[in-house]
Amino acid sequence: MKKSSTLEVEFAGLTLQTPLVLLSGCVGFGEEYTRIAGFSNHDVGAVILKGTTLEPRLGNAPHRLYETPSGMLNAIGLQNPGARHVVDAVLPHLPWSETQFWANANGTSPEEYGEVAAIFDDSPVSAIEINISCPNVKAGGVHFGNDPAMAAKVVAAMRKRTSKPLITKLSPNNADIAEVARCCIDAGSDALSVINTLVGMAVDRECRRPVLANISGGLSGPAIKPVALWKLHQVYQVAAKHGVPILGQGGITTPEDAIDFAIVGAQAIGIGTGLFYDPLLCPKLLEGMDDYLQRHAIARWSELVGTLVA
Amino acid sequence: MPTTPFPFQPMTDPATTSKQPTIFEEQAEILANVSYPGDQFILRLHAPNSAQHAIAGQFVHLRCSEHLPLRRPLSIMQTDRERGTIDLLAKAVGDGTHALRDQPVGTKLPLLGPIGRGFDLSDPDKHYLCIGGGVGIPPMLFAALSLPDPTRVLVLAGSEVPFPFALAPSTFLLPGIGGNTIMAIDSLEQRNIASRLASKAEIYGCFNGFVPQLAANHLLALDPTARAQRVLLACGPLPMLRAVADLGRQLQLPTQLSLEEYMACGIGGCAGCVVETEEHGQRYFRRVCVDGPVFNAAVLPNL
Ligand SMILES: Cc1cc2nc3c(=O)[nH]c(=O)nc-3n(C[C@H](O)[C@H](O)[C@H](O)COP(=O)(O)OP(=O)(O)OC[C@H]3O[C@@H](n4cnc5c(N)ncnc54)[C@H](O)[C@@H]3O)c2cc1C
Ligand SMILES: Cc1cc2nc3c(=O)[nH]c(=O)nc-3n(C[C@H](O)[C@H](O)[C@H](O)COP(=O)(O)O)c2cc1C
Ligand code: FES
Repeated sequence: MKKSSTLEVEFAGLTLQTPLVLLSGCVGFGEEYTRIAGFSNHDVGAVILKGTTLEPRLGNAPHRLYETPSGMLNAIGLQNPGARHVVDAVLPHLPWSETQFWANANGTSPEEYGEVAAIFDDSPVSAIEINISCPNVKAGGVHFGNDPAMAAKVVAAMRKRTSKPLITKLSPNNADIAEVARCCIDAGSDALSVINTLVGMAVDRECRRPVLANISGGLSGPAIKPVALWKLHQVYQVAAKHGVPILGQGGITTPEDAIDFAIVGAQAIGIGTGLFYDPLLCPKLLEGMDDYLQRHAIARWSELVGTLVA
Repeated sequence: MPTTPFPFQPMTDPATTSKQPTIFEEQAEILANVSYPGDQFILRLHAPNSAQHAIAGQFVHLRCSEHLPLRRPLSIMQTDRERGTIDLLAKAVGDGTHALRDQPVGTKLPLLGPIGRGFDLSDPDKHYLCIGGGVGIPPMLFAALSLPDPTRVLVLAGSEVPFPFALAPSTFLLPGIGGNTIMAIDSLEQRNIASRLASKAEIYGCFNGFVPQLAANHLLALDPTARAQRVLLACGPLPMLRAVADLGRQLQLPTQLSLEEYMACGIGGCAGCVVETEEHGQRYFRRVCVDGPVFNAAVLPNL
């Protein structure tokens, strides 16, 4: 679709050509979707690379996925070749003139997160998303995201090692997401990402076993949209006060979904599972978003953000 | 968990990810949808891009119904480049495939394809033994039809429900396959491609047993030089694939297996569809959708 300046947004000091951001874990290391005829990186403001740790990780055994009503479960287990390899062998191949690429950092200790930040600091990624909400690993991940003090420690450890914008990805699997958000902002997070997947499971009733080898997995897709909106609403109350932008996500598959997230407070719009449904979803979203702005005589996407009348 | 960087990276080796053939998204119209016994059905879809570019062993990722937005992977059985059609053979096993079976002619379904690494049929000195079981038969037919020389291929197909193809007595004599095992797939027979069938369902003219046994009988009856020229290709249920892998190992024949795993994106983005491989003494999880679905049996010791 033709680019329109109405959809350009500022996000944590970066200018995104559109509010759409392709989410970590759904688009590999940035190269896979470009194989599809008609797919264009120009339609998105940024692509977030698969969750990356300091050392390579094999990931979980299969099955890793399962379709559920209006969504899916995944338990990939952060399969990745390690931060060094990503920076040295993957980033040089990415089409940097087409869009921005952001890293997604993971670890089992604040120190490891810090090391990953340092490696990506010396690389062309425009920003680093901190995943303290992965439900599919035994150590770190969501255990950090559930504890406001731990979350802050991780953010602080990364803040010390990089000057790039840091975006902390929050988990819906905790009692007080607004408190975690506040602690992460205090620790130096430039933006927030809301929400990661909800923990769930599925049963193979013929074999009476869990479908996923990891037993539990992360629920994504339209099924989680109402939860995502509610968590976004809670986080926005804190973030808006500090002028911290939010990358909203969770089940966005239509322009209407994207608009709902913007109204509740998302400056950028994350697309994950929606791409599995339709790999050419982005231009359709942009068209619908643009139409809405025109119909409501709103000059820019950012003017729609956080306009919920409560 | 390895502590040294992987020699190959399933998700990041530029050789395996960039500059791969284009994958097309098209609205595929159902031109024919024919049911067969045993919950089987054959679909003919108008999908010109997939028809044009597909090679044997590749699959399409097809949305089966509006209510099930995740797509289902189905192997390509046959293409007609001029008419822009592809044929699929599926079995209704769950929600998606049942919904697909019930789709009327004229329906358009979002289809992504062609996807995956197909069979390697490039060695002109080899003779390909294609072993298919049930809904694993389609890629074997595609492989057989792809080979320029029909004398270099034999298709052995097994099924426990009636075959969804016209059958005819074969005119080919095959070492190790005798007695009543005379029926063949008519469309192959007409193209001078030899085939035979196996079933425990007492279907007339079929070998009474599993298809890997029929393959073993044939291979063991070949003289050693002829046997050494064989390459085994297989697609079907896991026990069948294991039996074929064992056979290939015993007879030291190159063996290519087409695997299945649950998929989400179907194009390599989510790392959800993995199988465990062992390469150069290292363990990996490789993606069935783009690193496969066809794998060399030598990298699958834990199949
Ligand atoms: C590369 C490849 C080629 C295939 N070719 C064919 C073919 O030509 N004909 C045919 O009938 N079947 C084929 N299959 C299997 C087919 O994809 C499954 O039977 C189908 O996905 C089942 O979906 P369902 O909704 O009916 O079943 P359900 O059991 O309800 O499915 C639930 C979920 O599990 C997944 N799933 C279940 N079984 C399988 C399976 N065996 N493989 C992959 N995913 C599965 C489904 O896609 C779905 O996401 C192939 C699979 C792969 C991976
Ligand atoms: C297959 C899969 C893998 C994922 N991997 C990661 C990951 O590595 N890091 C991360 O921060 N989030 C990961 N996520 C979460 C997504 O980035 C996203 O937050 C979530 O799926 C909700 O958005 P959606 O409903 O649009 O998919 C993954 C999600 C899926 C479906
Ligand atoms: S299904 Fe997503 S990587 Fe294969």
